[in-house]
Amino acid sequence: MSHERVVTIVPEAGLHARPASAFVQAVNDHDADVSAGPPDGDLVQAASMIAVTSLGAGQGDDLKLVAEGPDAEAVLDELERILTTPEEELDA
Amino acid sequence: MTDAIEADDIDELIPASHISLSEPPAEKEACIEYLLDLLVEADRVDDREAALDALLERESETTTGVGMGIGIPHAKTDAVSRPSLAFARSEDGVDFGSMDGEPATLIFMILVPASGSEDHLKILSSLSRGLMHEEVRDDLHAAEDEAAVQDALREAIA
Repeated sequence: MSHERVVTIVPEAGLHARPASAFVQAVNDHDADVSAGPPDGDLVQAASMIAVTSLGAGQGDDLKLVAEGPDAEAVLDELERILTTPEEELDA
Repeated sequence: MTDAIEADDIDELIPASHISLSEPPAEKEACIEYLLDLLVEADRVDDREAALDALLERESETTTGVGMGIGIPHAKTDAVSRPSLAFARSEDGVDFGSMDGEPATLIFMILVPASGSEDHLKILSSLSRGLMHEEVRDDLHAAEDEAAVQDALREAIA
């Protein structure tokens, strides 16, 4: 069963630079398949930096996350933390 | 999410003078300077040092090596007055420290004015979307002249 949530992006840079790299790293650190994208659009592989960059997701945009696998809930929690933490407070 | 750039934008963003088909330096920082100099020589950059500082600062935050053999060093800086794109390709690959460990063989530089924050994400996302397709990457590797690179980019963002 897949787990899903929609998160509004907080960092000023959007899903870009440090937040994007923390995001992709978190996906790769968990045992789950994760896709991400606009709530009403096509989703991409969240484990790929170029795919995540292709979303062009900016501050204030909603991002839909879908995860499947043993770590699905844990990875969604971590991704939500990254997406809702202002860039200067992000330690990853 | 941002709107895509359009095929018509290519001539303005990346005229032939912004494209190199020669081997760039093998080291990342030298490669970034090499791409920057394409834009400097094309008179797109008012302040080379400021542009370089902005590029390296962005690079120190986290690498612009996005994987799949692609590097996209970029910065928002008032050293440019309009969005500009440059391209070089490497046979040997340049180590951009990307997460997938692939050296960059297709390298783009994006410089946009500091005020043009939307342009920045727009160009970066359009380019990334196109470069995810293997045939676009193959076309860029196979391009025999600058016009063929521009054609591949028009296809990529169409």
